[in-house]
Amino acid sequence: MKRRWFATPYALWMLIFTIVPLLFVVYFAFTTRDGAFTVENFGKFFRPGNLPVVFDSFRLAFFCTAICLLLGYPAAYFLASRDFSRGRAIVVLILLPMWMNFLLRTYAMMTLLERNGVINTLLEALGLPPQSLIGTEGAVLLGMVYNYLPFMILPIYTVLKKMDHRVIEAAEDLGAPPMKVFSRVVIPLSVPGVVSGITMVFMPAVTTFAISRMLGSGMIYLIGDTIEDYFINFSNRNVGSALSLVLMVLIVISIGLLRKADPKGEGGALW
Amino acid sequence: MYDEQRLIELRGVSKSFGDTQVLHNIDLYIRKREFVTLLGPSGCGKTTMLRIIGGFEMPTEGSVLFEDKDITDVPPYRRRVNTVFQKYALFSHLNVFDNIAFGLKLRKLPKAEIKERVDRMLRLVKMEGYEKRSVESLSGGQQQRIAIARALVNEPEVLLLDEPLGALDLKLRQEMQLELKSMQQELGITFLYVTHDQEEALTMSDTIVVMKGGRIQQIGDPKRIYDEPKNAFVADFIGQSNLLTGVMLADELVMMAGKEFPCVDEGFEKNEVVDVVVRPEDIMVVGTDVGMLEGVVESVLFKGVHYEMMVATGETRWKVHSTTMQPVGSRVGLSIVPFNIHIMRREAVAIPAEGGGQV
Repeated sequence: MKRRWFATPYALWMLIFTIVPLLFVVYFAFTTRDGAFTVENFGKFFRPGNLPVVFDSFRLAFFCTAICLLLGYPAAYFLASRDFSRGRAIVVLILLPMWMNFLLRTYAMMTLLERNGVINTLLEALGLPPQSLIGTEGAVLLGMVYNYLPFMILPIYTVLKKMDHRVIEAAEDLGAPPMKVFSRVVIPLSVPGVVSGITMVFMPAVTTFAISRMLGSGMIYLIGDTIEDYFINFSNRNVGSALSLVLMVLIVISIGLLRKADPKGEGGALW
Repeated sequence: MYDEQRLIELRGVSKSFGDTQVLHNIDLYIRKREFVTLLGPSGCGKTTMLRIIGGFEMPTEGSVLFEDKDITDVPPYRRRVNTVFQKYALFSHLNVFDNIAFGLKLRKLPKAEIKERVDRMLRLVKMEGYEKRSVESLSGGQQQRIAIARALVNEPEVLLLDEPLGALDLKLRQEMQLELKSMQQELGITFLYVTHDQEEALTMSDTIVVMKGGRIQQIGDPKRIYDEPKNAFVADFIGQSNLLTGVMLADELVMMAGKEFPCVDEGFEKNEVVDVVVRPEDIMVVGTDVGMLEGVVESVLFKGVHYEMMVATGETRWKVHSTTMQPVGSRVGLSIVPFNIHIMRREAVAIPAEGGGQV
């Protein structure tokens, strides 16, 4: 019973850095610059010029999540397989980039993709024409996948790793060849990990702004960039807050729908 | 009872995991409709043997035959055997019906037939009305029944059961023992049952295979295993016993606990040192004047049907089961008839397998 007091420092932390700022966001979103109540700020979100940006953000986040899942599931499956004894070492390799600040990682990506970057230098050395890589949607997507892939692999790996091997043997025993074991047992049982992975990739992907700025060279403009602009460049925290709030609600709705697939939160519930 | 036809045969099967050899040159056959139990302490290799027959492990040496065809390399999903796993291994993402129907759906049977067969199984394991329940909401005993139904519904030639009742409480376990036995007889399916519980083995089996350290110690029907254990290990493992060291003075005469006893065994060297087993229930408590031995009662435990007493006769202490109680400290006489003294050769050499249950 006294144990609850151990959580006090964190509770304070959360109060100061999560709950209070959230209240500020709500307050600013519903007020004008002069502090009068208004709902007009929300209108900016549905401004014709803004909707394509929202659409692009969700589209890119969707593709990023899909690519991460397609790359991450087989990787996690391979790592969790019993015969793969060096699994742990590889897991550390996957984690390694996560130990570095993501801006550094993205800068590294920039040097690769730049007009005079590593890839183009190589191409020229081979006598091939240089490609315009940076500033494309592909570059931004690549950066996002690069940054978020470990968040997809790890939860799936965890679920697969702790899966009872006897369940797989039971399926074989009942007449399921390897492909059927995979489709009828392994995949359904790993749904919680997949849901967790999708959540952990999709949420930050929708609100991405630094990656799109650095690898998009200003050509790719996402909702995260819009919000940043309102706060920093236009000094309009009221509209910025309103946009953040709408985005938050949209994310909560999409994740809420996804959660229905894992009602028990076995994949490590996030909320 | 069972047929004479051999259904499964292990020939010279050995298995090693790394440097540890868990099975040593096993020869064994199982006949059609036979209830065979692999019995032994944990680590004796019984589960590995079951897994080799199920196809989950490959023998390092030797071969597995099914109806005289070599199936050593056949993967589990193409063997006509089904397994009831130790901790059930039910599919938690499927409900009771879909768990049982799993094998049938893989064989793409018509829906109506699947339903009919699943229903029949649910009746057999007394779980009607649970079709839609999630398996995680069931008790241990109920999960066990579903695991059995899931395997039996495929009408396998052989059902492998790996300590299936280990997680259940005593009363439920005894109930399930009887039910499993009657299911086996009703369906006419061959059962290969793994357990470390000697009572379970004695209750259910047609044939018991006693194992230790990856070697078969004895094969026989329950009565023979109990009454005529081949060595001290079997005697000690099956039922309670008094295990003594004796010396054969002549045919049908053994010296133990400082006295000479007439027995029924012969063919030993003169003065050969032997192991002697006497079951606690085979020792009669008699008057001190007529007993072959005289001793003092050291302790008494009430066990329901009988009293378990420790009686000291000089250096030797005897475990005695009797329906009449003698108070602690009283002097009693003990008697053993020749037939109940079991003499075994000392050296516990690997006993050549003689096949299933020859009596």
